[in-house]
Amino acid sequence: MAYSDKVVDHYNHPRNVGTLDKSAAEVGTGLVGAPECGDVMRLQIRVNPETNVIEDAKFKTFGCGSAIASSSLATEWVKGKTIDEALAITNTDIVKELALPPVKIHCSVLAEDAIRAAIGDWKKKNNVAETASVAVAH
Amino acid sequence: MDYFSFFDLPRKLTLDVAALEKQFYVLSRKLHPDRFASKPVAEQEAALAQSSLLNDAYRTLKDPILRTQYLLTLEGVELEEQSKAATDAARASGEQKKQIVPPELLEEVFELNMQLQEMRAANQMGEDEPELRRDLMTAKDSFDAKMVETQAELEGLWSAWDSGVDAGDEEAKLRARDAMVVLLNKRSYLRNLVRDVNEALGR
Ligand code: FES
Repeated sequence: MAYSDKVVDHYNHPRNVGTLDKSAAEVGTGLVGAPECGDVMRLQIRVNPETNVIEDAKFKTFGCGSAIASSSLATEWVKGKTIDEALAITNTDIVKELALPPVKIHCSVLAEDAIRAAIGDWKKKNNVAETASVAVAH
Repeated sequence: MDYFSFFDLPRKLTLDVAALEKQFYVLSRKLHPDRFASKPVAEQEAALAQSSLLNDAYRTLKDPILRTQYLLTLEGVELEEQSKAATDAARASGEQKKQIVPPELLEEVFELNMQLQEMRAANQMGEDEPELRRDLMTAKDSFDAKMVETQAELEGLWSAWDSGVDAGDEEAKLRARDAMVVLLNKRSYLRNLVRDVNEALGR
């Protein structure tokens, strides 16, 4: 199967590979896995507590080329966005941008899961309610 | 026609592989192209189709994992679909998606992958990292043991499924089915790790 140019580019030059300090209050960490294939992905964000803007994002993915490209793209996309804006990113956006074939959709789902998990972790650490737009009683 | 009925088997998971093999050879001979050489083309083609079905069915049923996965698809489980649907639901509700495997396992898998990467880098530099190697060996032993455990657990679930079939107990079947899904999901991480550790340790 041929990878699209964009996937190859992200794969060969992954953006934002690395680690943020997991214990820092302004850092959210999402560690997720795709049971279909056994691949794992960690995505971390650093959020400005005043503005809720994601100022930095790092990832580390052990998986296929599409998963690496999806997470690399995800870190690029979330940087500079507010938490709420970042939550609007869907796996379909990633599939479109990277021109992923149907068998690789789960790789993009993994990246969306990672974004959500990282934000969820940050919210939990900072006592922000789970949902911003929809009010959900806990 | 599904693979179980092709071999005239009930849809059960505990299976006599030796008997299956015997039957496979009998049927292979029966469907052998030589026997159809002088027959009309339509018959030749039918035999060919049957024989490729036979091969697929045999390959799937003799392997314990493939057999289990196959049965799960027959029972309407689509692993990939489930995961995507769960993500869609999480987006809509704003709730966290529940990861199918326990977070500790994910942590363990991730950490081990980090070590593996170090090991590979060291290998590439032609350096030996005795301490790292020892850690990886220990990890490998623990994952090997987990694989064995998983296999035993799986066989337990086969029995649960099979007795559900015998008793016509749909609820017991559903319970066994769902437990098998969870188990196979866990297994895919373990399988990758065992593979990667072996590779990094160079054997
Ligand atoms: S094949 Fe598993 S994430 Fe791509």
